[in-house]
Amino acid sequence: MATESQINVDPRKIFTASLTALALAVVLLFTVILPAEFEFDPLGTGRLLGLDALAGAGNLALEDDQLEPHRQDFVEFHLEPFQSVEYKYQMDLDAPMVFSWSTDGGEVYYDMHAEPAGLGAEYAESFGIGNASAKMGTYHAPFAGIHGWFWENRGRQAVELRLYSAGFYVGSTIFGDGGEFQRNPEPVFE
Amino acid sequence: MSVSLKYTAWFAIASMAMLVFGSTALAHTIAGNDASFVQGIDGPAILPFIYLGAKHMVTGYDHLLFLIGVIFFLYRVRQVVQYVTLFALGHSITLLIGVLANLQVNAYIIDAVIGLSIVYKAFENIGGFKLLPFQPDTRIAVFVFGLFHGLGLATKLQEFELSGNGLVTNIISFNIGVEIGQVLALSVILILLSVWRTSTSYIRHAFTTNAALMCGGFLLAGYQLAGYFLLPVY
Repeated sequence: MATESQINVDPRKIFTASLTALALAVVLLFTVILPAEFEFDPLGTGRLLGLDALAGAGNLALEDDQLEPHRQDFVEFHLEPFQSVEYKYQMDLDAPMVFSWSTDGGEVYYDMHAEPAGLGAEYAESFGIGNASAKMGTYHAPFAGIHGWFWENRGRQAVELRLYSAGFYVGSTIFGDGGEFQRNPEPVFE
Repeated sequence: MSVSLKYTAWFAIASMAMLVFGSTALAHTIAGNDASFVQGIDGPAILPFIYLGAKHMVTGYDHLLFLIGVIFFLYRVRQVVQYVTLFALGHSITLLIGVLANLQVNAYIIDAVIGLSIVYKAFENIGGFKLLPFQPDTRIAVFVFGLFHGLGLATKLQEFELSGNGLVTNIISFNIGVEIGQVLALSVILILLSVWRTSTSYIRHAFTTNAALMCGGFLLAGYQLAGYFLLPVY
C-alpha cells in the first residue's frame, strides 16, 4: 500500500521532474561537488570557479610553512619527595612540538598547561592532569604564550625526570625552588 | 517554459542548501571532540551516549530529509507514529546487531543507499510508482531503509576502538539518544509542515518540494559514491 498521495499529476510531468532531479544532481556533482570536495575536476569547472582551492584546504597531514628551523631540547630534573618544578616553552599560536618525558622510577603528578601571553596564571588552561611515570605526545599551541608542565614528586623516593622535545618554540623557563631560570634551546641549524 | 524555469530554480535552491549543509557537516560522522570522547571511554556512560545519539540524529540531514519525505503526506498522528516506529525498529535492529556482531560495511555505500532512500520516498510522494507496474508497500520500504540507516550508525560507531567494557549499555544508550533526537527533530518538522499545510501553497508546491527532495537525495548518493570511488583507502 502506498502512502495516500495528494497529488494527481500527469505521468509525463513525473517523468520529467524525476529526470530533471537526477540531471541537476549529476551536473552539480561534476561541476561543483567533486572539484570542491574530492579534487576531481573532469570538466575544469572547479578551476574556473576557484573551487579547487577548497579541496586542498582540508589536508591537515602536512604543515610546512614555518619560517625558522625548529629547536630541540633536553632537560633533567632531580625531584626530592614533595619537590616540584615547572618548565615552560614560549610558543606562538599554532606552533607544534613533540615531546617525551620519563622518570627513572616512580610516578609523578603532572599538569600540562599553558598561560596566554600577557594574561598570567589566572588565565592558565590545563590540557592534561594526572599521575604517570612517562608521557609521550605532540602539542599544538592553541594560543601564544608559555606552554609546559608542572611536575611534583608525591612519592617517597627521589626521582630523576628527563624531558626530550623538539618544536617551534623560542625559549624556555624553569620555575623551581630557587627562582626562575631562562634557557635558550638552540635551533637545529642557523 | 516559465513552469520549468520555476522548477529549475527550486531545484537549484534545494541543491545549494544541500551543498551548504554538506560542507558544514561534511560526511555525517561523529567528529572532533566527540570522537576522542567515544574512543577514550572505558565502561558504561549512559548520558553521554544518549546525548551523542540525539545529536547525531538532530544534525543528520540525511536522516532528517528521509523523515520529511516519510511524513510529508501523513496527516494523522497515528500514521506518523506507525511509520516512525517502523523506521526506529529498523535502525535499532541493525545498530545493535551491527555493533555487537561487529558487522563491517563500507560507510560510503551505506550513506549512498541512505541518499537513495530519500530519492525513493520523494519519487513515491510525487506519484512516481503509479507509472510502474508494481506498487511497493511503503511500510516495508520504510522498515528496510530503517535497517540501512541503522547499519550506517553502526558502521560509524565501529570506526572507533570501542571498549568492550559497558558496550551493550553504551550502544543501547546511543540508540535511546537516537530515538529522542528523532522525536525532537520530528516535532519541529511536524510543526513546520502543519503550519505550511494550512496554506494552499502546500499542495501547490508539494510536487516541486518532493522533486527537490529527490534531487537532494541524488546529490547525497552521488557525493557518497564519489567518496567511495575517489578517496584513497588507508
